[in-house]
Amino acid sequence: MIRVAAVGDIHMGPDSRGALRPAFDTLPECADILLLAGDLTRHGTPEEARVVAEEVRDLAVPVVAVLGNHDHHDDRPEEVTEILQDAGVHVLEGRATVVSTAHGRIGVAGTKGFGGGFVGRNAGEFGEPIMKEFVRYSRRCADGLRRSLEELGEQGCEVRVALTHFSPVPETLAGEPLEIYPFLGSYLLAEAIDTAGADLAVHGHAHAGSEHGMTSGGVRVRNVAQPVIRRAFNVYHLQTPEPAAAGTGAGAPAGHAWQSADDPAPGFMT
Amino acid sequence: MNERSTHPTDDAPTAANLEYRVAHLRDRLARGDSAELGVRVEARGPGVLLTGTVPSAQCRDRVLAAAEEELAGVQIHSDILVAQTDSPDHAEELS
Repeated sequence: MIRVAAVGDIHMGPDSRGALRPAFDTLPECADILLLAGDLTRHGTPEEARVVAEEVRDLAVPVVAVLGNHDHHDDRPEEVTEILQDAGVHVLEGRATVVSTAHGRIGVAGTKGFGGGFVGRNAGEFGEPIMKEFVRYSRRCADGLRRSLEELGEQGCEVRVALTHFSPVPETLAGEPLEIYPFLGSYLLAEAIDTAGADLAVHGHAHAGSEHGMTSGGVRVRNVAQPVIRRAFNVYHLQTPEPAAAGTGAGAPAGHAWQSADDPAPGFMT
Repeated sequence: MNERSTHPTDDAPTAANLEYRVAHLRDRLARGDSAELGVRVEARGPGVLLTGTVPSAQCRDRVLAAAEEELAGVQIHSDILVAQTDSPDHAEELS
């Protein structure tokens, strides 16, 4: 079993320094990997990125991230990426990474993604140059996700996870105004996920949305925006096809003080 | 819920100009120091309701200060939450 922890939209700044670290320090007890689903900062400044970097530096589990639209606001996404990478974070945009853990190899394909909307209510590549570029950009993000997932499929990972900031499905936007759905995600991401295959899709961006969704191809989608999950991160248990050989990465033994929702212990907190 | 009311002015807001003032507040929250795209601002009768989750208590204070400035004379109701940072106590099984 692979244990995936994920959170997005943590929007850190100097006044939230250290807020998540106590919870992140518990990760080895309950997860094999931490995914960060974008909007890690408020304005995408190096100063804010350094707060995020310190929050996850030297964690006992691997950390994989994509950036969000907030992380682009200061027009320095490369600098933000570099600061996070220096702290050991795998930052993905149109590419994949494979992390070896004690419970198996986890493949993560990541892109920020973009908007455009969902089937029947989506933007088309037509008209003004800026409108066409809007759709083309979203398509490039989705193509990068599909290619990355396909690459992972050839590498025999125990599980494959699609990590985005924008949503691939409308279900996990439930709670947001319908009128802004085209700015919250794109069906192109879901099409990429279903074409290449994945075991789980994780995104953020929609603070007022809902946690649970599924692509039309049957891939589970989880909106892990911090305002949605209302905690420092959520954990998803993914069954592996067969027991994995011992990994070489930074995985930790299964937790003993930490329970599955399906197997609550006496005194289980809800 | 917190309720804050600034001193009413002689020129009480009409429904129409309240709508634009709400829009201006949203713009300010999105582009300003707070970058709070996740705060919803909605007219509720003569007042305004703020909802959403922000990353810190300081962010919440900045949002409320901006709202009081942009919507002077309007009763402001705040249901803004600060993001919770607890570890989860269970996992979801995906079979």
